[in-house]
Amino acid sequence: MNWAEVLGAVEAMYAQKRDELNALDAALGDGDHGTALHTAFKEIAARAPELAQARPAEILKAAALTLMNRMGGSSGALYGTLFLRASVEVKDLDRLTGEDMARMWEAGLEGVMQRGGAQVGDKTMVDALAPAVIAFRDSISQGRPAAEAYEAAAAAARFGAVKTSELVAKHGRAKFVGQRALGQIDAGAASTALLFEALRNYWREKGG
Amino acid sequence: MSARHKKLINQPENIVREMLEGFARAYPSIVRLTDAGLIVRAQPKGAGRVGLVIGNGSGHEPAMIGFVGAGLMDVNVPGEIFSAPGPERIVEGIRLAERGGGVLLCVSHHAGDRMNAEMALELCAAEGLSGVEMVLLYDDISSAPKGQEAERRGTAGLFFTWKMLGAYAETGASLPQCKALAEKVRDATRTLAVALTPGTNPISGQVMFALAEDEIEIGMGVHGEVGQGRQKLQDADATIDAMLPPILADLPFRAGDEALVFINNSGSMTQMELFILYRRVAQRLDAAGIGVYGAWIGAYATTQEMAGFALSLCRVDDELKRLWDAPARGAYFVR
Repeated sequence: MNWAEVLGAVEAMYAQKRDELNALDAALGDGDHGTALHTAFKEIAARAPELAQARPAEILKAAALTLMNRMGGSSGALYGTLFLRASVEVKDLDRLTGEDMARMWEAGLEGVMQRGGAQVGDKTMVDALAPAVIAFRDSISQGRPAAEAYEAAAAAARFGAVKTSELVAKHGRAKFVGQRALGQIDAGAASTALLFEALRNYWREKGG
Repeated sequence: MSARHKKLINQPENIVREMLEGFARAYPSIVRLTDAGLIVRAQPKGAGRVGLVIGNGSGHEPAMIGFVGAGLMDVNVPGEIFSAPGPERIVEGIRLAERGGGVLLCVSHHAGDRMNAEMALELCAAEGLSGVEMVLLYDDISSAPKGQEAERRGTAGLFFTWKMLGAYAETGASLPQCKALAEKVRDATRTLAVALTPGTNPISGQVMFALAEDEIEIGMGVHGEVGQGRQKLQDADATIDAMLPPILADLPFRAGDEALVFINNSGSMTQMELFILYRRVAQRLDAAGIGVYGAWIGAYATTQEMAGFALSLCRVDDELKRLWDAPARGAYFVR
């Protein structure tokens, strides 16, 4: 797999869903989550040619630094941490097996939970990320190929994101929207579901 | 979708940079804008003094760019609109503030500001930059109950910390002393805000929250975060009568205490309204036996054209009075 291409697929997904994410964010936050995420991934995708020959970890790290430093805010910090911890976990590997990716996403999830202090049920991106990572790990541990593991992960992430509408936020700015958050899907959980849907689509197409 | 609020800007994506350029050109004897978009003191403070850095989302001007200067902050790291700056920019700010006495990174408590500050400190450690500490600052009593002060967010009342910490760092106090002083001012400060009408996000043009014509929200945060509930709009005296007691009870401020009072305009209140509000604050403090050591009234930490204000009190002892009275020269705070 070419990880520069993978991140290009994520950029395409956010390009398509940008306004939808902005609208979700507007209910509980600034209304710029889609634009901010898409702008960061556009910058990442623009670097694909120079990163084409790089190891997966280097590409993930470049994405992490762009997210942290160009996007800023809570989302930049959390998505940046996800990709940075992932890159550290697979450092020096030339290609990633399903097992490598399972460890990589587990490390990313742990990083996000540490950084933000959120648990499952707090109405954050963790509500999509945790089930996705667990589903991915389960599939790999059962000996399934990565493409199937991403199918399971994307479905779990989407389910987790949708379920955030039943929750009241405990972190970030959305926390202060209080009961008004009921019935609203968390924008960070939605963008995480889209991330795994982009990964699923890529692996569907490329196999493996 | 409502109509965009009227604003005189150019391309929305350039507003932060263009604002900083205009600001720096207006006050060249006080601040300088770096290529990376940081605001630094035009003349760095004396060697060996503790450097003071603050990052924040833009859109709250003159906070925090207006508080950079002698006797105040050394470096401000502006982020995008209502979005904390990323860690690399904060590290750049720390480097610029280093004068040989270490650097205190001040963090107004919001999730994004805290996370990015923590990452900046991790980067400093990874790069071997030592003598860097952070202090988490908060003052808004509506954002978490008493007993959970560390969960509260940072709002207008941090004004007292910028002023007194800035003065303290100029005296040659050490990094641990500066951090302790910042915590002392923080722990002596309480703030409660009220919102009448919303501000708009200058990029999207969308209003940040909705309030009915005859409603106010006490405790609303600087980004429209929900407070203690909505109430019918009342007159100025009744509004202060509802806001002041919870502030006094939270610290608590007691008869015989001396306090500084700050009324911050969230954006589009008139100075006339603020003086009318302050009149009632002064009356109520007199009646409670609390002395007013000084008052400061104006638009210092705004949320675009949001109508509303924050009322902050800081209990002062002799040390804090001296620091309050010390000279300061920022673009939006001169003493």
